[in-house]
Amino acid sequence: MSDIPNGLFSIDELENVQITIGKIVGAIEQKAKEEGVEVGPTPKPGISALRDWDYKLLSRYKPVYTPVCDQCCYCTFGKCDLTGNKEGACGINMEAHQARETLLRVITGAAAHSGHGRHILHHLIGLYGRDKPIDVGPSNLLAPNTQAVTGIRPETLGDLEEVMDYVEEQLTQLLATIHAGQEGAAIDFESKILHGGMLDHVGMEVSDIAQISCMGMPKSDPEAPLVEIGMGCIDSSKPVLVVIGHNVAGVTNIMDYIQDHGLEDKMELAGLCCTAIDMTRYQTDRGGKPHAKVIGTLAKELKMIRSGVPDVIVVDEQCVRADVLDEAKKLSIPVITTNEKIMYGLRNRSADRPQDIIDDLSSFKEPGALILDFDVLGQVAPELTLKMSKIRDEMGIKALPSDEDLKELSTKCVMCAACEMDCPDNLPIMEAMKAGVDGDFSKFEYLHDKCIACGRCDQACPKDIPILNMIEQASQKLIREEKGLMRAGRGQISDPEIREEGVNLVLGTTPGIIAMVGCSNYPDGTKDLYRVADEMLKRNYIVVISGCSAMDLGMYKDEDGETLYEKYPAKFLAGNLINVGSCVSNSHITGTAIKVAAIFAQRQVSGNYEEIADYITNRIGAVGVAWGAYSQKASSIASGCNRLGIPVVVGPHGSKYRRALIGKPYNEEDWKVYDARDGSEMPIPSSPEFLLTTAESIEELLPMLAKNCIRPSDNNMGRMIKLTHYMELSQKYLGHMPADWYKFVRTETDLPLAKREDLLKILEKDHGWEIDWKRKKILSGPSMKSDVSAQPTNVKRLCKGEC
Amino acid sequence: MVDTTKNTQIYSTWGRKMAKPVNPNVAGKVISKAKRPLLVVGSEILMDEKLVEKTISIAKKGIPVAATGHSITALMNKGIDAKYINVHSLATFLGDAKWGGLDGQGSYDTILFLGHKKYYLDQVLSGLKNFTDLKTLAIERHFMQNATLSFGNLRPEVHLDALDEFIDNI
Repeated sequence: MSDIPNGLFSIDELENVQITIGKIVGAIEQKAKEEGVEVGPTPKPGISALRDWDYKLLSRYKPVYTPVCDQCCYCTFGKCDLTGNKEGACGINMEAHQARETLLRVITGAAAHSGHGRHILHHLIGLYGRDKPIDVGPSNLLAPNTQAVTGIRPETLGDLEEVMDYVEEQLTQLLATIHAGQEGAAIDFESKILHGGMLDHVGMEVSDIAQISCMGMPKSDPEAPLVEIGMGCIDSSKPVLVVIGHNVAGVTNIMDYIQDHGLEDKMELAGLCCTAIDMTRYQTDRGGKPHAKVIGTLAKELKMIRSGVPDVIVVDEQCVRADVLDEAKKLSIPVITTNEKIMYGLRNRSADRPQDIIDDLSSFKEPGALILDFDVLGQVAPELTLKMSKIRDEMGIKALPSDEDLKELSTKCVMCAACEMDCPDNLPIMEAMKAGVDGDFSKFEYLHDKCIACGRCDQACPKDIPILNMIEQASQKLIREEKGLMRAGRGQISDPEIREEGVNLVLGTTPGIIAMVGCSNYPDGTKDLYRVADEMLKRNYIVVISGCSAMDLGMYKDEDGETLYEKYPAKFLAGNLINVGSCVSNSHITGTAIKVAAIFAQRQVSGNYEEIADYITNRIGAVGVAWGAYSQKASSIASGCNRLGIPVVVGPHGSKYRRALIGKPYNEEDWKVYDARDGSEMPIPSSPEFLLTTAESIEELLPMLAKNCIRPSDNNMGRMIKLTHYMELSQKYLGHMPADWYKFVRTETDLPLAKREDLLKILEKDHGWEIDWKRKKILSGPSMKSDVSAQPTNVKRLCKGEC
Repeated sequence: MVDTTKNTQIYSTWGRKMAKPVNPNVAGKVISKAKRPLLVVGSEILMDEKLVEKTISIAKKGIPVAATGHSITALMNKGIDAKYINVHSLATFLGDAKWGGLDGQGSYDTILFLGHKKYYLDQVLSGLKNFTDLKTLAIERHFMQNATLSFGNLRPEVHLDALDEFIDNI
């Protein structure tokens, strides 16, 4: 290979000729060699490079398809009815089409994160240059996903560009396979889904490590500040600027302007969705206080707008309602769009004088503006907010119906049930209307937390009753009390933290990591999250949280008035609660698992994805929970976890993702791996039982979490702890001992100490196991041996003597 | 006699193969004729004690119960054959000839559903409709278009009456 480096050089003999070397074949390997780092077999894997690994996963965890629509309408051959797994005109059958539909969602999500990543990287390179070092805290493994996948060990912002080039190229290749007349096998669409999920975590990682490095965000900081959260924490007597979206790039200019001009106490700056989380991380790494408040998730978006409290709304990208401009216009709230992904048909004012924009918007000549120049945005948004506050006060804008109106509106209801049928959760709206006729609005109040504020009820009502507004008005007391605290996102788990806790995770003495991620499409309100997290934290699981879940968790307090963020510390240790940050910070959750393999187990990480994934699959008891998953991004995040062998449970709405990956515990041949010491086959417990599935209620979810943290590598103490939690949670929430508990017992020391004798009796009586009662030892019965020295692997080439 | 076939408005999945609306007496006879029926009960029964009572009455006709979600908490020690299972897993296993069933006695031929979230069951039934030959019967409050046979959309009080009639006809 040539020794010519990347970059610019001139040839003396050729005057005025300059040649730019972009990328050199083998450059990753060359750089790694110079740094003394070994690169694995798959740096920058293409679509087929990890296919064998995917097939291994998919042979145990079979795709389960539940179509949302029985037809395919992709091309003009159709519509084709695929019911009953029929083939359409192009030859694709229902299974393959469902896998294709899932792939489309996964790469849409991955593209949203990666598009965000490219945007913010471009923005930050413009501000700080390509040589700006990556600084994410006290770690050497700065970008675990990036390094495991691409083999690149990025050190500067410029290094991340090549990573994004790879992700974007692969996403384009995956998108191409969705076209009619391309892939025809469901199993290979499935492999592509896992590939898309893996890419997503790289794209997310680039986004977050770039912004952490440049924007003064907490760097693996367990003491990241606590932030006010909730609709009730907004002081509506002040001018209110509300920001919605996920990309904080332009918003930081607004924050700087507010601070530079001493406006912090004169106005409220608050956010919805992940931009809000990242606003609270901005410039807090050196003890700075957060300069913004968090209103909440997507489920608060329409409620917040319709409250009439915002004086100006700024949107960037992702999870922003498509009707923000229409809704805001009704209440004379100007809207500023700041990102090419959302422009709402507004005129581009990026090159205009700030004062001209302020004049036009405050006089309602135009309902809003597209501003892509962040310096202009930084000035316009706060100044316009100050001005609009006075104007809107003088206009006496009435946003919600009065209590008197509520009664009158209730009488308009004809009890046709259209609202209830259209409501995603079939909430009992008619009951609230019936009570409302008599002036009892408590049943509207009951709906407040359960309602995800989608507004479909309003659209369905033949009498044009503003149902959502009625719920909001009736819940004003509750809304005023919605005040909580959230710990600002701390970013990665650092290398020293992994060194301290890795052994406990692999042996099972820390019972597992519960990663609560995802959106706000809950089946039964926000408090379920609190209940799940509190239960698992009490049981010493590490609870890692991000995005919308991180926000909603901060809304509830215990009997002492403390939120879980105040109650539990935020180190990477058993019984700690860690908010990694916004949606793109989800990459730090998979990054943590990769770090355990790389740092604790000393596995080679660069370009060595399969071995890392194999290690995680067999040894790290982690389960993801996306209880309110609604978005395409949630499906790509889950798929990225799945390729690493990390199972994910979604709430019942997640069934509409139309595909799950579920194992069959009764197929014994599916639950075998190799022992890497000699290549022999060894049976393993049927856990995780799935890679992606749904649960119906949190009472069902809780024992599922404990059970699916069990791994082959658990030592006896670890298995005993995990089994104890599985049994106790089943008894507590399902009222009985789980039917399959004995299948996880290898030896008597796996049994919970306090119940050992009773359980031995059950094993003897119900399952025919042979017990030596003098020594209280199991003589025969278990299908697995307890051997802590065993090296479980799904990959034959990793066995001794195979290489 | 309760007419449970009138309102079959669909609010979710779309496809050409639709459930036939069925009246309670016919539904009862379908179950009576089944060789190996299974009643799949969801957590929504816990919202209404009367639904729990109806569930137990159906099970006492000798129909084994797959209790999904946390519905098992209302069905233990009631003299019925109820076992917990996750509904997504159950739907997967139901289509697998190798699965021995909840009791090891082999696969089922007719699956009866009660007490589920509409949107969730709709997905479960979609999988069964498209990838198995099982006969499915939804005796829910809502029309489940992906079932083989389904009650239409009903008001809660009409639904309870319909269940009584269904039980009388098993």
